Amino acid sequence: MYQYDAIDQQLVKERVDQFRDQTQRYLNKELSEQEYLPLRLQNGLYVQRYAPMLRIAIPYGMLSSTQLRKLADISRRYDRGYGHFSTRQNLQLNWPKLETVPDILDELAEVEMHAVQTSGNCIRNTTTDQYAGVIADEVVDPRPYCELIRQWSTFHPEFAFLPRKFKIAVNATESSDRAAIQVHDIGLQIKKNAEGEIGFKVIVGGGLGRTPMIGRTICEFVPRAHLLSYLEAILRVYNQFGNRQNKYKARIKILTKALGIEELRSRVEAEWQHLKGKENTVPDAEFDRLQGFFTEPDYKTLTDQPTELTEKLSQSAGFARWYERNTFTHKKSGYRIVTLTLKKAGIAPGDATAEQMDKAADLADKYSFGELRVSHEQNLVLADVEQSQLVELWEAAKEAGFATPSLGLLTDMICCPGGDFCALANAKSIPIAQQIQEKFSDLDYLYDIGELDLNISGCMNACGHHHVGNLGILGVDKKGEEFYQVSIGGNSGHDANIGKILGPSFAEEEIADVIEKIISVYLDNRTQEEKFIDTYQRLGITPFKEAAYAKDN
Amino acid sequence: MQKIIKDGVIVESDLVWISNSETLADTSADTLKKAIVPLSAWLEMEDKGQVAGIWLESDENTDQLAGKNISALSVIGVHFPAFADGRGFTHARLLRERFGYKGEIRALGNFIPDQLGYLLRVGFSAFQFADEVNLEKALQLHKPFSVAYQSDVADPRPLFLRR
Ligand code: SF4
Repeated sequence: MYQYDAIDQQLVKERVDQFRDQTQRYLNKELSEQEYLPLRLQNGLYVQRYAPMLRIAIPYGMLSSTQLRKLADISRRYDRGYGHFSTRQNLQLNWPKLETVPDILDELAEVEMHAVQTSGNCIRNTTTDQYAGVIADEVVDPRPYCELIRQWSTFHPEFAFLPRKFKIAVNATESSDRAAIQVHDIGLQIKKNAEGEIGFKVIVGGGLGRTPMIGRTICEFVPRAHLLSYLEAILRVYNQFGNRQNKYKARIKILTKALGIEELRSRVEAEWQHLKGKENTVPDAEFDRLQGFFTEPDYKTLTDQPTELTEKLSQSAGFARWYERNTFTHKKSGYRIVTLTLKKAGIAPGDATAEQMDKAADLADKYSFGELRVSHEQNLVLADVEQSQLVELWEAAKEAGFATPSLGLLTDMICCPGGDFCALANAKSIPIAQQIQEKFSDLDYLYDIGELDLNISGCMNACGHHHVGNLGILGVDKKGEEFYQVSIGGNSGHDANIGKILGPSFAEEEIADVIEKIISVYLDNRTQEEKFIDTYQRLGITPFKEAAYAKDN
Repeated sequence: MQKIIKDGVIVESDLVWISNSETLADTSADTLKKAIVPLSAWLEMEDKGQVAGIWLESDENTDQLAGKNISALSVIGVHFPAFADGRGFTHARLLRERFGYKGEIRALGNFIPDQLGYLLRVGFSAFQFADEVNLEKALQLHKPFSVAYQSDVADPRPLFLRR
């Protein structure tokens, strides 16, 4: 895992001091509300519906057990004893007091953490695959590249006041895209060219929100040495030409559409010609240095499928289910990747109590070299678990409420904080998630339905990524009442696709029933090997629509 | 006279920022010598040496300066219509790095003291704040962080070339 050196530490400290001073001046009325706004946003502090919200960065999702314990401790002392893991590998505290935020940041700095650029119109936390470094089929470990981008983007003097927020995600496998790079402002797919050199396919202009769009390829291959100059060229073009009149048209996706990808590409190329080969060219020595932070832990030489595991698999259907859904193939034999789910029925997806955070930290220490990852699907991941210890870990995870064996299934929803917390919401989203979780609580039924992403957002800002859910639910406001629009056929990953709206929106109490009706169409029509999305693609929207709006008789 | 922060001290500036091209027609040659005029007006002037400086609006582009003798100008201003409008950061940086401009680059308009650290790093050397800003207090913020990851105008080497 990356470790701060004296310079990183110094920067974070100066930033905290700066923000303490800014907050003090704001409280003394020397800084106006309007001036304080972007300053606090760039330090992760929102003012939400009921209280401020602090978004803490977990760079590319990597977290040590020490850091997680600190987060638990902070959530206890400064908040209400829980936190919310977001879809962008951040942790949100929903109830801190504004005056105490500088103290929180100070304490975070002690464990090499911060909330820098987690909101505001700047380059945000760079995200990646939660399985980075531990899966067999990745081109290279993406984390050193994420760290390179983190450093480049942190306090970048030219790009702190962009037209709008800017999100970068990195993916390093061909087989899947757990980082959802096609719906980011810039998506980077790591690949090797014919000569075996490492570089990036650069995708630009993807995004969700009001105008969801799948990104376009702007460059097929940028050699890694030139990554920063290429990113700088894109950002510079965006900073100059992005729309600043209308915040709904300000993301780079709109510029990409307005100029057309060819024109955008030629402007970026022209800018790049000035920058390429200059100081921002990254020498191999720097890649080696960064790589050095992500070396393999002390793996033992083990064999796959030890008897402790195979015996339990044949004896316990519950364990077998959990193993199938919540664990994943590791690149080293004898190891397994384990997801600790934060999707227990009755709690908001992604929420973790301080006790759970402590517990997860303990599990990480005991079973996974003291490290965890936060996933885009709002779960925690233990990346390096010995297969012979899976049974023990399963028991412990069950006790802590981390073992709902539903990863990738319908109830493993992505859900934004919605109207219970967020000032921008049109409608609540958490109660919708709960309603669906209750309806589909029968595990056999859930397993029978199989893989299905259901994503919920409380408004058009789409923090819950509803457009790319196989089923998406969006809270809308109809004359002051909360209604929900359902969309179908969205997809994230390499086959990213924006879902289609089914039709008129539904009342809150109808939602779970509607979802059930849609799912019966799938169950009645699927072929043996089809997932929900496949059947949908084969049948088209009509039968689903008819079922959803059919009158009960 | 206008008080500004220049090279880290509060000074009086005898230059006049002419924010509107229309008023230029009635301006005397003497006044022009002390004037910072809009880029568009300057591009139309035959004698480009008759003014002290020019200024760019945030939605203008440094490309328009290509091939022009800007080294003779003692000031180039960059206007911030609103402090959240970050285009001026790119303008200043390009003036320094691409056009090799060595003279004063002056921030004009509605930028705020809390932006000074970044403004300095992209090449601004002078700051003509909105009237209500207390310059003494602003001066306390007139410094970037002591270290930086990226290349900037002060040091083109990113941290990875300085380690
Ligand atoms: S989608 Fe809307 S309601 Fe949900 S968190 Fe984002 S802004 Fe808030």
